Amino acid sequence: MSSKVHAAGASLAALLAAGSLQADQTLTVYTYDSFVSEWGPGPGIEAAFEARCGDCDLEFVALPGGVDILQRLRLEGEGTRADLVLGLDMNLMAEARALDLLAPHGADLAPLALPIDWSDETFLPYDWGHFAFVYDSEQLETPPGSFAELLEAPEDVKVILQDPRTSVTGQGLMLWIKKLYGDRAPEVWARLNERVLAVTNGWSQAYFSLFMNGEAPMVLSYATSPAYHMAVEETDRYQAAVFEEGHYLQVETAAMLANTGQPELAREFLAFILTPDFQRHIPLGNVMNPAIDLGDERPEVFDRLIEPESLTFSPEEVRAHRREWIREWLNASVR
Amino acid sequence: MSGATTPLRWASRSRWPPGLGLAALAAVAGLGLGSLGALLWQARGVHPAALWQEPWLAAVLRFTLWQATLSTLLAVGLAVPVALALARRPRFPGRGLLLRAMELSLVLPTLIGLFGLVAVHGRRGWAAPLWEGLVGSESGYLYGLSGIVLAHVFYNLPLAARLMLQALETAPAAHWRLASQLGLTRATIWRTLEWPRLAPLLPRLAALIFTLCFTSFAIVMTLGGGPRSSTLEVALYQALKFDHDLALAALLALTQLTICLSLWLLALSRGGAPSLVVGSVALPTGGRWRRRDALGLSRLTDAVWLTALAALLLPPLAAVVLAGLAGLPELPRQASLWAAAARSLVMALGAAAGALTLALSLLAGSRWLKARRHGAAALLMEGGGQLILVIPALVLGTGLFLLLRPTLGSGWQGYGLVVLVNAFMALPFAMQVVRGALPGLSAPEERLADQFGIRGRVRLRWLVWPRLRRPLALALAYAMTLSLGDFSVIALFGSPSAPTLPMLLYQQLGGYRWQGAAATALLLLALVVLVFVLLGLLTRRPPRYPWNRFAREERHARVP
Repeated sequence: MSSKVHAAGASLAALLAAGSLQADQTLTVYTYDSFVSEWGPGPGIEAAFEARCGDCDLEFVALPGGVDILQRLRLEGEGTRADLVLGLDMNLMAEARALDLLAPHGADLAPLALPIDWSDETFLPYDWGHFAFVYDSEQLETPPGSFAELLEAPEDVKVILQDPRTSVTGQGLMLWIKKLYGDRAPEVWARLNERVLAVTNGWSQAYFSLFMNGEAPMVLSYATSPAYHMAVEETDRYQAAVFEEGHYLQVETAAMLANTGQPELAREFLAFILTPDFQRHIPLGNVMNPAIDLGDERPEVFDRLIEPESLTFSPEEVRAHRREWIREWLNASVR
Repeated sequence: MSGATTPLRWASRSRWPPGLGLAALAAVAGLGLGSLGALLWQARGVHPAALWQEPWLAAVLRFTLWQATLSTLLAVGLAVPVALALARRPRFPGRGLLLRAMELSLVLPTLIGLFGLVAVHGRRGWAAPLWEGLVGSESGYLYGLSGIVLAHVFYNLPLAARLMLQALETAPAAHWRLASQLGLTRATIWRTLEWPRLAPLLPRLAALIFTLCFTSFAIVMTLGGGPRSSTLEVALYQALKFDHDLALAALLALTQLTICLSLWLLALSRGGAPSLVVGSVALPTGGRWRRRDALGLSRLTDAVWLTALAALLLPPLAAVVLAGLAGLPELPRQASLWAAAARSLVMALGAAAGALTLALSLLAGSRWLKARRHGAAALLMEGGGQLILVIPALVLGTGLFLLLRPTLGSGWQGYGLVVLVNAFMALPFAMQVVRGALPGLSAPEERLADQFGIRGRVRLRWLVWPRLRRPLALALAYAMTLSLGDFSVIALFGSPSAPTLPMLLYQQLGGYRWQGAAATALLLLALVVLVFVLLGLLTRRPPRYPWNRFAREERHARVP
């Protein structure tokens, strides 16, 4: 009986732990789950890196999102299993830095091709994108050309947003409006709310449950979203509206832990991030812009995406004001 | 027969029930209060006043209470006529399909359920032209309070009706025979047969559904139309994830806990009185009695109720199935799909077995206590089972993390923990299903069994088991499907690249793979159907008990 139980337990363990064989040098990377899915960039990057380093094993641990990576680091502190984290965006950088757990990346930043200057010594960008309103061209022939036009749009132009308290894109819109309108932000929120069909808790609900069902002609998403529709689904139906005031920028970064047992391997991985072997998996795998110039390797559909001006706050400003701005949004929206 | 008995007695005299019950209670309380405690212990400086200083919080609380109350009243209230109609009509074309659909709706992952609801009831949904034709204005009822309540009724009415149906079906055949021979009217049958079956069930069922609606997160936010309609969990999410304000998170969790648990205690103390017929649970023998109340006007009303149920349930499910069928060509390209399905099934089985063990232990312990007139302690033991449901998964996960770090989350430990937490989360459902059947033998039957020396394993095998097996199978099926569809817990602990089915689904959505995600959802639904059908089949045929051999003759030969 007990041997049977043991056998069952062992096969259960094998089934559950499938794929995580231990090699001599294991590099554990905390990231978000769409990065590691089989069609995401994770598997290709893992294979490319393991081929390069020889006897090492790159192990991804998937968490629901960037905020969860930060939260996990906070909870685990110095005892964390992570050697690297991949997926903290600019708005989380200041808080992650304040944990005092991260070490300088030491990588050469020369290959970087971002819309803004980058000189941070801890956080290494691996991709970027602009927040944007994606519209359904079958419902809306001429999208608004600016934020001002969106606020003036006819009654039936409804938009689907996400909540800044629970979603990265929602927070992006909050910062976007704050950057554009400053103290007038509450008034803009109040006017925007007349256009709002729904404020969902996550991007997936907004995009999948509502927008793809045709519930509203516009949804808050990324300027790169149409690339997926054009390249994989081969349809031009969904496009991003370009706003003349500029779009808020999201830069996603990687960083290594100061306490890692594999500092050299971790640095090797960070240096690997800004090579074509890593970056070629980004455009269609993560549906974001690559952080270096990929030349001919960049999919053609990316030539057809909008190229707006970039708006940003510094990570420190975001950290200092986020709660207050969320409260401002909440009060303007609850009225 | 009696010579081979062991001292193990399931009956109330044994020492096992209190021990098992206490162990289960300790496990539940340890997990629930432990994680909450860990949060409080880590938080520096808890200021309850912070709760009152947030003006929006009071508004959120009021709204949450209002929508949960409304949803519960409608879901439970409308489930009554539906369950009565289903019980009155044991055979009609499509009944099996309807029952399967009822089992599905509870476990549909929220994102997929929302997709189906929007496809049918949305501004451009299937029902929109109908609405515009009837009302004349554009269909917008899915957004706002009406949409939230609709979604909650869609999710919870089937559960309520399914459990009520089960309770109605436990009425002894002899009662129906009598009712039929006496020619009782519908009103009399309701008073003497149906209501006594349903009454003890209602308070708990209402408390369960209220809790589910109170803590519902994605539905309220997506359909609520803005931060005006929101739930405590959103504030909690923000406090825990973005602001890392453990103190506020703990306070919010405590608020939720207090509201929901006091409701549970109220429900348990109301519904605790055993009704007259408890104990004489019908044996699952054949012999359906032709019901006179199934004729006449009730033909019409039953048809209306059943059509309404079908109209509520089937179109959204059909939308999901259609989308899934369109995505089927994507399936062969997904290498990880089948492994994910197998992983999910194994974990669900583990979680369901755990939930059932806990449920039986708690109920046995509570019954033992009640038999000794320790009413309050019995209440506590039964109420304890609901604890995990009212503690937000996020708090549970974070608290466990604080308690168990730094050993947590490596390899398949993480999966083990997910199975464990899933077992605790399915516990209230399992208790709800098994509860009605557990009292087992009535006092006279027990005395008789004692006199004949039918004890221990034999009594369990021949007297208790036959009454328990169908509810147990239903409970197992519900618990399994709940953890099959669960995403919240596994997301907390993070995972290596080996996903479960719901994780795969969310990954697909995060990566724009709508078609693939719809196909994954279809597979998930198929697994749920499989679980219910398989467990139903295994327990449908009455086992070969001696009395079954005579069941058919008895119907004709004996006069009561």
